[in-house]
Amino acid sequence: MKTIVITGTRKGIGKALAENYLAAGWKVVGCSRGESSIAHEHYQHFVLDVSDEDAVVAMARQIKASHGSVDALLNNAGIASMNHALLTPVSTVNRILQTNVVGTFLFCREMAKLMRRTKNGRIINFTTVAHPLNLEGEAIYAASKAAVESLTRILARELAELKITVNAIGPTPIETDLIRGVPQAKMDALLARQAVRRMGTVKDVINAVDFYLREESDFITGQVLYLGGVC
Amino acid sequence: MPNRTSIEALILESVQMLAEDFELDALKNPSTDTSLYCEGGALDSMALVNLIADIEEALAKKFDVSIALADEKAMSARNSPYRSVSSLTDAVIERMPA
Repeated sequence: MKTIVITGTRKGIGKALAENYLAAGWKVVGCSRGESSIAHEHYQHFVLDVSDEDAVVAMARQIKASHGSVDALLNNAGIASMNHALLTPVSTVNRILQTNVVGTFLFCREMAKLMRRTKNGRIINFTTVAHPLNLEGEAIYAASKAAVESLTRILARELAELKITVNAIGPTPIETDLIRGVPQAKMDALLARQAVRRMGTVKDVINAVDFYLREESDFITGQVLYLGGVC
Repeated sequence: MPNRTSIEALILESVQMLAEDFELDALKNPSTDTSLYCEGGALDSMALVNLIADIEEALAKKFDVSIALADEKAMSARNSPYRSVSSLTDAVIERMPA
């Protein structure tokens, strides 16, 4: 039975991904700042802040003890804040960078150590179409995800020798808490910039994740796949 | 707190296991003076990354301590702590919680 680590599993895409891979027969290890919202015999939950190095290292140690190794990591946890740059407090900037960049890095680092022996590890990071589309009001969020993309490409090279692939998925807007509060007119304008003009679904994300996870995808690394025809 | 001999034994065991994984003949029978990551040492950068991760894992498992051997102090040290089994042992002892 393979083990997949998914960050941010309490709600939204992370929860749906966890439930999907549990149903598909994986052991899932999830985490979030809050208590677990998933009850399943093959699900293990950690309450932590993904940017807390000590907590992430401790989680990795516990996974090593209970599971031995990790086959895949989905760095789903992320936060956004939509605001004009001139009205964005530095506390918000730090919060977004800590969760999206530091958190992603820490999980890549610690879980890659647990993938070394499997010789077929998969890391999938989450970016956003807000980066290639240069969306106004999302300067810090998009910048944090630009960092995640850079991290993805460089880690792909650094971890290739360990047979770990590192790729990213950039979903379009999906009905989750992350985009709650975005005005409809803004959402319509964003959809108009996609080749396929509809909201994304969790199924679209799972399809892309499945592609990266496939054993045959071991020749695919350092790639960023935007959904909805954004490029 | 573990003594120097037990830490040294743990590092030697980690080096031996790595030597088997990476087929490094020069490290199959290591001693405290064996050169690791230095001029003439047997480790390349990827093998070193693996060795450090192995030692950190083994320390956690055997002695229940969480130590980061690849910290800023190690990176900026004039003499790399990764150059030999002996210097790695010093680095672990320095970082052991009081």
